[in-house]
Amino acid sequence: MKSIIFTVMLIITTTASISQVNCYIYPEGSPERQACELCDEAIKHPQGSKTSQLLFDKAIAVGPKFAWAYYEKSVPYFKRGFLLEGLEILNEAIQLKPLDYLCYRAYWYWQYRNYKLCIQDLETYYNMPKAFIQFTPGGEKDMRIILGLAYARTGDYKKGIKTIKDCLKTYDSEDDFGFADYHSLGMLYVKDKQYDNAINALEKQLLINKDIADTYYYLGLAHLKKNNKTKALNYFQKGFKKLKDEGRYRNTNAGFYVYPSDFEEVLITLKSD
Amino acid sequence: MLRNNYYTYLIVTLLVFGCQNLKKVQKDYENQIGDTPFDKTRDNPNFKFCDSTKVLHKRAYIRYSGGEKALEEELIKKYNFQPNYRTFSGYFIIHFAVNCNNKTGRFRMEILDTNFRKTNCPEGLESQILSLAKSLENWHHAFYRGKDYDGYRFINIKMKNGKIVKS
Repeated sequence: MKSIIFTVMLIITTTASISQVNCYIYPEGSPERQACELCDEAIKHPQGSKTSQLLFDKAIAVGPKFAWAYYEKSVPYFKRGFLLEGLEILNEAIQLKPLDYLCYRAYWYWQYRNYKLCIQDLETYYNMPKAFIQFTPGGEKDMRIILGLAYARTGDYKKGIKTIKDCLKTYDSEDDFGFADYHSLGMLYVKDKQYDNAINALEKQLLINKDIADTYYYLGLAHLKKNNKTKALNYFQKGFKKLKDEGRYRNTNAGFYVYPSDFEEVLITLKSD
Repeated sequence: MLRNNYYTYLIVTLLVFGCQNLKKVQKDYENQIGDTPFDKTRDNPNFKFCDSTKVLHKRAYIRYSGGEKALEEELIKKYNFQPNYRTFSGYFIIHFAVNCNNKTGRFRMEILDTNFRKTNCPEGLESQILSLAKSLENWHHAFYRGKDYDGYRFINIKMKNGKIVKS
């Protein structure tokens, strides 16, 4: 029951900032109410279409302090590779409501592989007294996991591990873990050469979700480093098979990806031994 | 005289502020953000959309043979590092279209520094990166809801000290 409440709370808190805003919370006739209603109209049109963008502009003109309009207007720019235009618009939303929109900018910094700026935003965010739990836009990862992965991408695996562990500690139970959280932790343990801890975390991952091909790859690597070649080979074979499975879990925002050629390489080496 | 000056001032002020407001509110948009009209000064006239009225903006549907890693490996393999490139660290964001025959065109490129500000890069690097992007041939056009489509995509090439950084 507790975990259900927790999950519901998470959904409410994380979607509050970036999902559709309830326009009725603003007084009738106020600039925010008018802007909000225009945004409601805009999102009925295809994202990135001229009609919707013009409606967002109209919303911004009547309610320049209504942050959601800037946020919604920025989204198609980020998705389509127009980073600078997206940032210019989103920055207005962040000025107005940093607590709500800073993580979104961090997410796009992460997506465009600028880990330094991503870390900068997320550190600023988590230092805010009212920071709440936020997730990636797809909802699959806590932004604190992204912060951990971003540290790892800059080469600081230990800080990455600590950040992910600290994040997971705040959950009441494993029921609240994401589908790839133990994978993220285990992967960083492998990169930090802590192979026993890696095996421990990755085996836990298999109990939560055994459908990520990369989990088997990292389990294979950890066992290989511990000289358990039979186990390593077994995991690499399982992972390679999983990679071809259309129904596998595609661990978006993994931070580090394993490709078919990575499996082929280790399998060839092991089989030739 | 004073009165004339006053009117001139009033008209100029109204025009200046009026234009600023207009600029802020009314912006010229293409039908979709990212639509790239043909520009005869830089676009290949032989590149044509199969149906220019339905060009998708769904990047995930346009794939490269062997996936993103194969694309990256091809870029790294073809890239010809020069010592004067060493001063550059940043990003090349390249937008382009893949038509339903897997041909590419309408290339546009932005060069950003490590703080995501517009920047320039050493001579030769910009044209090399653009040529590299144009040389990629193993694209698979968008197949969406049972139909073939033209579509837009972008790639982001990250560089550190003149070398391509693997993702």
